[in-house]
Amino acid sequence: MDIELEFVSIEVLAEKDGKEKMKFILDRIKKNKILVLEESLSPAEETELIESTMKQVSDDFPGIEVSNLREKTDGGLKEWLIRLLGGTTGGMTVIGPSKLIKKMKKEPQRILVSAGKK
Amino acid sequence: MPFKKLLGWVKKIFGKRKKIRLGLYGPPNAGKTTLANKISMDWTGTPVGEVSEVPHETREVQKKEHVIVKASGKTLEMNLLDMPGIATKIDYEDFLEFGLDVTEARARAKEATKGVIEAIKWLEHVDTALVVMDAGKDPYTQVNITIIGNLEARNIPVIIVANKIDLKDADAERIQEAFPQHPVVAVSGKTGKNITKLYDTIAKHSK
Repeated sequence: MDIELEFVSIEVLAEKDGKEKMKFILDRIKKNKILVLEESLSPAEETELIESTMKQVSDDFPGIEVSNLREKTDGGLKEWLIRLLGGTTGGMTVIGPSKLIKKMKKEPQRILVSAGKK
Repeated sequence: MPFKKLLGWVKKIFGKRKKIRLGLYGPPNAGKTTLANKISMDWTGTPVGEVSEVPHETREVQKKEHVIVKASGKTLEMNLLDMPGIATKIDYEDFLEFGLDVTEARARAKEATKGVIEAIKWLEHVDTALVVMDAGKDPYTQVNITIIGNLEARNIPVIIVANKIDLKDADAERIQEAFPQHPVVAVSGKTGKNITKLYDTIAKHSK
């Protein structure tokens, strides 16, 4: 079975509000794709993603595996200013369907993913 | 404001109790209900909910109100909120391994998904959170990080509970290393080991 990976640029996501972003992600995950986003979802977006996922759980789609890396900043003010000016503090997010991801291990500076049909 | 200050002193003098909503958060099977039961039994003599080895036993928020805790010279009145475990996947087939039939497993999965959503919605309504982790498991998971990140964003005090230290593979230090920004208390909700330290920490860090 082929595994399809989709790398998504930060510009694609920047145009979307919260709901659109979740729909964009879950529509692809449900097509058995593994997404690599060029940004780290915020904690609020992560819970929104979990909520949206739970609403769609079925026999065929039991859920997702997700992990992200956040770029470290030197503190609140710099990060606040970057976000205020519409920027991002970087990072990345890996999301895939739990049926396909055998293991996703998160470490502070890397994410290890093992995928295949279970 | 001077009036507020004065009111604060008066409350202090007359021993006004501090009231908090204490939420127990964490992934499924971290021992949240066992811990909630231990706290509730210690101070009210009655438990909060049922415990099971089958994941997602708690599928709706379980509450125990007016739990009066005395620790570190303070008196706290707590509403204990035992939350369903937060997960990113719920596969009904996982429940079959525990002897449930397909109908029961599907029903449990459906209820569990609602429980996760309910637990997330409660995030903004707790005053202090105990994030409960199984000390025998890798603490550096996305679910734990997401829960803590959301609580931090709301300025809600977080106390991490390294639970199940009665088990031989428990490693509370690994949890402290993963989350150095928060107090970590190593306890066993099952045996009660170190539970007094947890009460002291709640009294110290609650707002």
